[in-house]
Amino acid sequence: MAEAATHAHDHEHKVGFFTRWFCSTNHKDIGVLYLFTAAFMGLIAVGFSMYMRLELMEPGVQFMLDEEGNPNGHLWNIMITGHGILMMFFVIIPAMFGGFGNFFMPLQIGAPDMAFPRMNNLSYWLYVAGCTMALLSVVVPGGNGQGGSGVGWVLYAPLSTSEQGMATDFAIFALHLSGASSILGAVNMITTFLNMRAPGMKLMKVPLFPWSIFATAWMILLSLPVLAGAITMLLTDRNFGTTFFQPEGGGDPLLYQHIFWFFGHPEVYMLIVPAFGIVSHVVSTFSRKPVFGYAAMVFAMLIISALGFVVWAHHMYTVGMSLNSQAYFMLATLTIAVPTGIKIFSWIATMWGGSIEFRTPMLYAMGFIFLFTFGGVTGIVLSQAGVDRAYHDTYYVVAHFHYVMSLGAAFGIFAGIYYWIGKMSGRQYPEKLGKIQFWMLFIGANITFFPQHFVGRQGMPRRYIDYPEAFAFYNYISSIGAFIAGASFLFFFYIIWVTLTRGAKIENPNYWNDQYPSLEWSLPNPPPAHTFEILPTQKEWDTQKADH
Amino acid sequence: MEHTAGGPPPAVVVSGPQWRERRDKPVYDVTLWPNQSLTGQGLIWFLGISAGFLILPLIGIAGTAVFWGLIPFLALAFGGMWLAIRRNRANLRITEELKIWRDEVRVERREPGGQILRWQAEPLRVRIKLHKDQRIEDYLTLSGSGREIELGAFLAPEERVELAEEIEAALTRAIRA
Repeated sequence: MAEAATHAHDHEHKVGFFTRWFCSTNHKDIGVLYLFTAAFMGLIAVGFSMYMRLELMEPGVQFMLDEEGNPNGHLWNIMITGHGILMMFFVIIPAMFGGFGNFFMPLQIGAPDMAFPRMNNLSYWLYVAGCTMALLSVVVPGGNGQGGSGVGWVLYAPLSTSEQGMATDFAIFALHLSGASSILGAVNMITTFLNMRAPGMKLMKVPLFPWSIFATAWMILLSLPVLAGAITMLLTDRNFGTTFFQPEGGGDPLLYQHIFWFFGHPEVYMLIVPAFGIVSHVVSTFSRKPVFGYAAMVFAMLIISALGFVVWAHHMYTVGMSLNSQAYFMLATLTIAVPTGIKIFSWIATMWGGSIEFRTPMLYAMGFIFLFTFGGVTGIVLSQAGVDRAYHDTYYVVAHFHYVMSLGAAFGIFAGIYYWIGKMSGRQYPEKLGKIQFWMLFIGANITFFPQHFVGRQGMPRRYIDYPEAFAFYNYISSIGAFIAGASFLFFFYIIWVTLTRGAKIENPNYWNDQYPSLEWSLPNPPPAHTFEILPTQKEWDTQKADH
Repeated sequence: MEHTAGGPPPAVVVSGPQWRERRDKPVYDVTLWPNQSLTGQGLIWFLGISAGFLILPLIGIAGTAVFWGLIPFLALAFGGMWLAIRRNRANLRITEELKIWRDEVRVERREPGGQILRWQAEPLRVRIKLHKDQRIEDYLTLSGSGREIELGAFLAPEERVELAEEIEAALTRAIRA
């Protein structure tokens, strides 16, 4: 029999710095670790993009030169590969899913921690190991007798199977580690979400952010093993003489593209779906209204996630698919506009008639809605197989996916940080600085990517170190925008430093005065190490059941 | 009350008093278990949909070597997910069964690992207490036979208060019967 533990109050467990941050099994601490590591990797990835925009500012090759002063195309390829791999696998997903997901998903469903806290720790350190491998892949011996892997983040065969050196192997291992980390994280999130919700919290009562994390985790679980398999086969093609994707041995490089994009398209949604969740909370809080069409929002998120698995070949219309296949992938892709539209209209309807307060998180959320819609519209243009013949591999595509990811997912991360930093740290950011940073990034990112639609339409191909004079004007403007956006990123780090060291302390747990608060707003700022050891009752989280 | 929280675990060790099976109807009978939000049907739906999506990429590549290269990764993901949920459900598979007769009070607790813990006392000697000074709000204990045991530590405080009232009433009924 469980003997009664009738001793006095159990004291809050004090742990040392090393134990807390290096051996942590606490979901909140692991969330913070993910956010800081992702921010560091983001700094490097943004640094790569600044270097690329500096090079593209004027025609000719000015900065990426080899020792003899000749243009170094391989260095350009390394920057492209590094920027893509870091941003996709080591910045956005870890920040959204690992950072906010870990910190807030268990809190919002009233769970005391993740289902498997030690596995959570393992996920984080696998991610750190993956980061290390990814950074090494930029410098260890690689192709063209130089250092670094330059095969692009998609690792297309046969370029990836034939590039010299070990850099591409490092890149593949980085993705393996990141994939293992994400899959373990996904298993943990799914188990927590499904089986550890507070009593009475039925699925259709769960706040939208945990739903977005669950949808993301499910996509990770179902698509990352496909990537893991594909890149393992790449690895054996490179090192053990297999020919899965080598035509000379009967393999098929196009098959790699198919299975890569079977993972790759859901990957895009993994980046954006958590942002849907964050934006829903922010819009509701600062409009002082509950989210319009909650059930439609949940189903739209799930449908978008599911459709992400059946549209992959729109990334490869030009490889020589049959007309019927192209027609199918085109129509399936267009279908995604429907649930996406439901989400956008629901956000607008939430704001409609609301008492809107333009605080920094709300500015980011509104920026997200406007720019994600813009990126979505160019996505509809690109989904047309016929139109894509002209736009494929041009800067139009670069502009499109940066509008969705750089201005979509990244804006979601910034919205989340400004929204929750007071909850996570107990200190509030300076509002004025936050707004300045928003406008710098909003203006900078738009100046960067909007002109790229035009150079794309003019026919400028992506992935080149140089371009003809005809494209100079828009490239110059684009680079100016990139520097403004880059400066805003550095400014953001300054704001975080100011917030954590000198920010105003906030005592009110529900400091935005959210009228429809989820459970994290019932906790102190920052929340104690152990939360919801006593499961919350329905009246604590269900506004309809609450006594007010 | 029939419990539905993942089914009873296998008995491994029984500790506490050895008792005879009683066939007479108790005055009061309650089984308690911790909250699990995933139902058996929900688990089947989740795993079924997951399996469907995991099979999807295999359809187009059937007949190629890549098909066989992918299968272990997909199987590992599915198996890992299934085991994780099973483990989590098993970890929460605690039950506490309280039965009150005119002459005896029995509590049997089944641990996630299968261990069975038993406690028994005479109704007249049982003391029920809701502790207000503990870390767990309204911590409920029963004492008797020289031991104090906890009951329903995994329940919500309101549920423990309600349970304490029910047990109190049942003990009174049992003593008067």
